[in-house]
Amino acid sequence: MPERLDILQGTLDLMVLRTLAALGSLHGYGIARRIEQVSDNRILLNQGTIYVSLVRLDARGWIRSKWGVSENNRRARFYTITRAGEKQLAAETENWERLGEVMSRLQTGGECGR
Amino acid sequence: MTQWLRVAWSRLRAVASRRRLDREFDAELVTHLELLTEELRRRGLSTADARREALRKLGQPAALRDVHRDERGLPLADALGRDLRHAVRNARRSPVFTAVVSLSLAVGIGATTALFSLVDSLMLRSLPVAGADRLFQIQVVPVVAGAPRKARIAFDPQAFEAVRTRREVFSGVVGFTRLERPLVEVAGRSDPSREVEQVSVNYFRELGVTPVAGRMPDDADADIAVISARLWRTRFDGRQQAIGQMLLVDSRPYAIVGVAPPRFHGFTLDSSADIWISSRSGSPDLMMVARLTSGTSVVRARHAVESLLRDQFLERFRSFPPDQAVDTELLPAGRGLSRLRGQYGSALAALMALVTIVLLATCSNVGNLLVLRSAARGRELTVRAALGASRSRLVFQYVVESLFIAAIGCAAGVALAAWGVVAVLGLLPIAAVPDSLAFRADPRMLGFAVGISVLAAALFGLAPAWRATEVDLTGPLRSSQGTTSPRRIRRLGRGLVACQVGLSVVLLVGAGLFVQTLRNLARVDVGFPVSGLVQVQIDTRFAGSSQSPASQGASQAGGAGPVAGVFRLLRERLATLPGVTAVTGVRNPLMQRSWAVMSVSLPGLERQPDVTWDTAQVGPDFFETMGIPAIHGRVFAASDFEHTGERFVVNETFARSFYPGDDILRRAPSIVGIVRDTRLFDVRSEVRPVMYQMLAREPDRISSLQVRVDGDAAAALPAIRKAVVDVNPRLLVGIRTMQDELDRDISRERMVASTSVLFGALGLVLASIGIFGVASFAVADRTKELAIRRALGAGRWPVVRASLGETMVVFGVGLAGGALAATAVVRVAAVTISDLVFGLTATDTGYVAAALVVLVTVAAAACVVPAMRAASIDPLHGIRDG
Repeated sequence: MPERLDILQGTLDLMVLRTLAALGSLHGYGIARRIEQVSDNRILLNQGTIYVSLVRLDARGWIRSKWGVSENNRRARFYTITRAGEKQLAAETENWERLGEVMSRLQTGGECGR
Repeated sequence: MTQWLRVAWSRLRAVASRRRLDREFDAELVTHLELLTEELRRRGLSTADARREALRKLGQPAALRDVHRDERGLPLADALGRDLRHAVRNARRSPVFTAVVSLSLAVGIGATTALFSLVDSLMLRSLPVAGADRLFQIQVVPVVAGAPRKARIAFDPQAFEAVRTRREVFSGVVGFTRLERPLVEVAGRSDPSREVEQVSVNYFRELGVTPVAGRMPDDADADIAVISARLWRTRFDGRQQAIGQMLLVDSRPYAIVGVAPPRFHGFTLDSSADIWISSRSGSPDLMMVARLTSGTSVVRARHAVESLLRDQFLERFRSFPPDQAVDTELLPAGRGLSRLRGQYGSALAALMALVTIVLLATCSNVGNLLVLRSAARGRELTVRAALGASRSRLVFQYVVESLFIAAIGCAAGVALAAWGVVAVLGLLPIAAVPDSLAFRADPRMLGFAVGISVLAAALFGLAPAWRATEVDLTGPLRSSQGTTSPRRIRRLGRGLVACQVGLSVVLLVGAGLFVQTLRNLARVDVGFPVSGLVQVQIDTRFAGSSQSPASQGASQAGGAGPVAGVFRLLRERLATLPGVTAVTGVRNPLMQRSWAVMSVSLPGLERQPDVTWDTAQVGPDFFETMGIPAIHGRVFAASDFEHTGERFVVNETFARSFYPGDDILRRAPSIVGIVRDTRLFDVRSEVRPVMYQMLAREPDRISSLQVRVDGDAAAALPAIRKAVVDVNPRLLVGIRTMQDELDRDISRERMVASTSVLFGALGLVLASIGIFGVASFAVADRTKELAIRRALGAGRWPVVRASLGETMVVFGVGLAGGALAATAVVRVAAVTISDLVFGLTATDTGYVAAALVVLVTVAAAACVVPAMRAASIDPLHGIRDG
C-alpha cells in the first residue's frame, strides 16, 4: 500500500512542478484547475492534496511563494518554481521518460527475446 | 544530506510558527473554496449545490488542516506538546498529589545522586591529568609483623633522584608533599588554612596539567608557585596581574608563574591544595608518583626499584631491625590518593545499596499513586478511547506524563543532591569540604541524574501505562459512580504496596544494623574515665618562634632553648588553671589511630619477628591523669623520669600474652608494674599488648597534652586554649574533650548510622503513604457495599474489619517478604561489609524485631483514618446513592 501512495505523491509533485514551470506564478486553485484541464478531467483530484504537495515542494526549496490578490480580489498565495525546482524537474522528467520507455518495451514484449 | 537538513529545518520552523501557518492555510483554503464555488456556479449549479460540490472536491477542511500540519511540521512533537500540556493541566488540577509525588521522587533521586557523586569523586573519577591510568604511587612499606596497620614512609630527595634515573620503566616521576600548617601570605595579607603542596618542578609538565593563566614551570625555575583557580579568583579576581606577584610561605617568597585549571586540586582528594611551590632544595619527605612507560607492567616496574629503595630506606632508618622485610608497593594513583577512600569506601558502597532501595521504594510509591489516580480517571480514559484515541496514543500520553513528573523530580533532586553531598561530608572528620569531593553539576552528574530519572519514570510509569492498554469501553461509562475499578488495577496497586512494605523492612533493618553498631561502639569501655578529660594537640616545631617552624629557624630557636622547655612550660601553666587537677603528655596523640610499634629486649622475651606490641611514650603523671590504675606493681613515679635507667609499665594483655602464669615483675625487673587494659589509640580494635615507656626526650613533632579537670570538660576548653595560645599561637593544633575524640573516631559509623536512619525513615514514610492509599481506596471503593451491610444490621467493627482485611493481607505479605529479604541482606552484609558492623552476633536479631515493630506501628497509624471512615459509613448512603 504505501508504495502506491508514494508513487502517487511523487507523481502529483511532478505534475505541480511541471504546471508551475509552464505557467509561471499560480495559486493552489489555479494549479488544481490546470491539472484537471490538461488531463481532460481524467484525473479525479481531491484538490486539497495539492496543498500537501506544495508544502513538500516548498520544504525542499523547489518552489517559492508570495502573497498576492486573486482574480476575485481575494488574498491568495502564488507559487513559482525556483532554479533548484527546475533542475529537479529536468531530472525527474528524464527519469519518467526512461521509465516510460522501459514500460512500453515490457508491454510490447517482443524485444525481450532478442 | 543537505536536502534532509533543509527539510528538517523547515519542519522545525513550521512548529515554531504553527499558529501563523494555520491561519495562512485557512486563508488559502477559503480563497480556494470561493474560487471553486464560483466556477461551479458558472457551470450552472445552484449556490447551495455549488458549495456542497466544492467542499466535496476540496476535501474536509479540518482533515486537510491536520494532514497539512503533519506534512509541514513534526507530528510527534505536536503530540508531545499536547500531552505535555495535558500533563501540566493535570498537575495544576491536583497540586497536592503532584507535590507529594514529585517531592518523594526528588528525595529519592537527590539522595541517589548525592551518594553517587561521593562514590564517583572518591572512587571512580580519574584526575584531570594526562594518561591517568599509567600513574602509580611508589611506596616503601616496612613490614612489622603483627602490626595492625602499615606504616607509610616518605622519601628523601636522594631516593627521588634514584627512581628518576630508571627511565626504562618510568617515563617520568613527580614528587610532592603537603606542608603541615604553613604560614601563608598572599597579596600582602596572611591567609590561614590554605593548603600548600611542595612539588618537584616537573610536576605540572609531567602530569600534563597546563596552567589556564601564566606559564608552565620549567626546569630552570626556582622558588616559584602555581596557584589554584579558586585562589586566583578569590584573591586576585582572576586578573592577569597575579602572574609574577610574590607570595610568602613560611616567610619565604615564591613568584607566581601560573594558575592551575579549575578542576585540578592535586593528588590528595581529602583536602584540596591551593598553592603548589617548587624550590631548589627539595623536601625531606616526599611522596612519589611515577608514570610507567608504555608496555611496562607494574610487577616489572616494582622489581626495577625494589632493592634500590630498600637500601635507601635502611640507610635512612638505621635503627630498623634488619631481619624485617621492607616491601615496595606501586598503587594506582590516577584516581587520586585518599585516606577517606580506604575508610569510607565500603560505607559509601553500603549506603549506595540502601539508597537504591529507597529509590525503588519511591518508584513503587509513585507508581501506586499513579495507578490509584488512573483508576479515578478511568472515565476520562474511556471517553478518549471511545472518541477514537488509539491505545498507543493513550500509552504515549501516560509515558509523557510520567516523564514530566520525573523531570520535576530530577530538577529538584539535583538541587537536593548538592546539599546532600555537603551534609554527608559535614559528618566526616575533615576540616572543610574539599573541592575535589564537592558536588559538581557537570555533564557526568547531570547525565546520571537524568538517567536514573528516566529509569525511575520507566519503573513507576509502567503500571499506569499498562493499565491504559486495558480500557473497557463501556464499564465506567455505564457506572453511575465512575470509581468502580477493574480488579486488575487493584491487584497492581496492592502488589506495589507490598513491595514498598518489603523494601522498607530492608531499609529499617539496615538502619537498625548500623544504629546498633554505633551504640555498641559508643558503649565500648575504653578503660579510663573519659569525662573531665581534655586533649590538646600541639606542634612543638613552632615552640621557639611565632613566625617559622623551629626546625627551619634553628638560629632563632637555638637548639635546646625554648623548644626543649615548652612541654614543661605548658604543663606547668595548665596545672595552675582553676579546675585542672592533673596534666600529662603523650608522644602520639590518643585516639588518632597512630601509634608506635617498637621492640625492646626483655628477659624471657627474646626478639622474634612476630612478637610485637604497641608502645606509648608517656610523660609524668600519665596514669594519674588518665585514671588508669596499676593492678600489679606500680606506675611511673616522678623520680623515675629523673633517672636514665630503662623502666616500663605494661598492660594486662602484654603480661598475659608474653608471660602467662609467670610473675612478670620478677622475670623482667625493668617492668615496674602492670596496668589495666585500655584502648588508647582507637575505639574498635582489639586490645593489643601495650608497653608504656617514659617520655624522656622532648617530643619534636606533633604531640599531645592530656588535662584532667574537675567537672565539665567542655567548659574548661576556652581557658586551656588561651593558656596554650599565650605561649605561642602556632603551637596549638587542636583542642578537644576526650569524648569528642572518641566521637570523631567513630564518625564513620555515625555517618553511616544517621544516613541509614534517614533512609529508613524515608522508607517508612513511603510505606505509610502506600498503606494509607490502599486502605482509603479499599474503603472508598466498597462504600456502597459496606453501607448496605450496615443497613442490614452489621456492627461497626465487622465492617471496619471487612474493609481493611485486604490491606492487612497486603501488609502481611510485604512484611513477610521484607523480613526474608532482610535476613538475606544481613547475611550478605556480615560477609561483605564486616568492617562496618561492630559487636553484632549472628543471633542478635533485636534490631530486626525493632524494625518490624516500628513498621507495624506506622502501618496501624496509617490505617486509622480509613478505619474511622469505614466505621462512620452512613447506612443510608447505600440506599440514597443506589
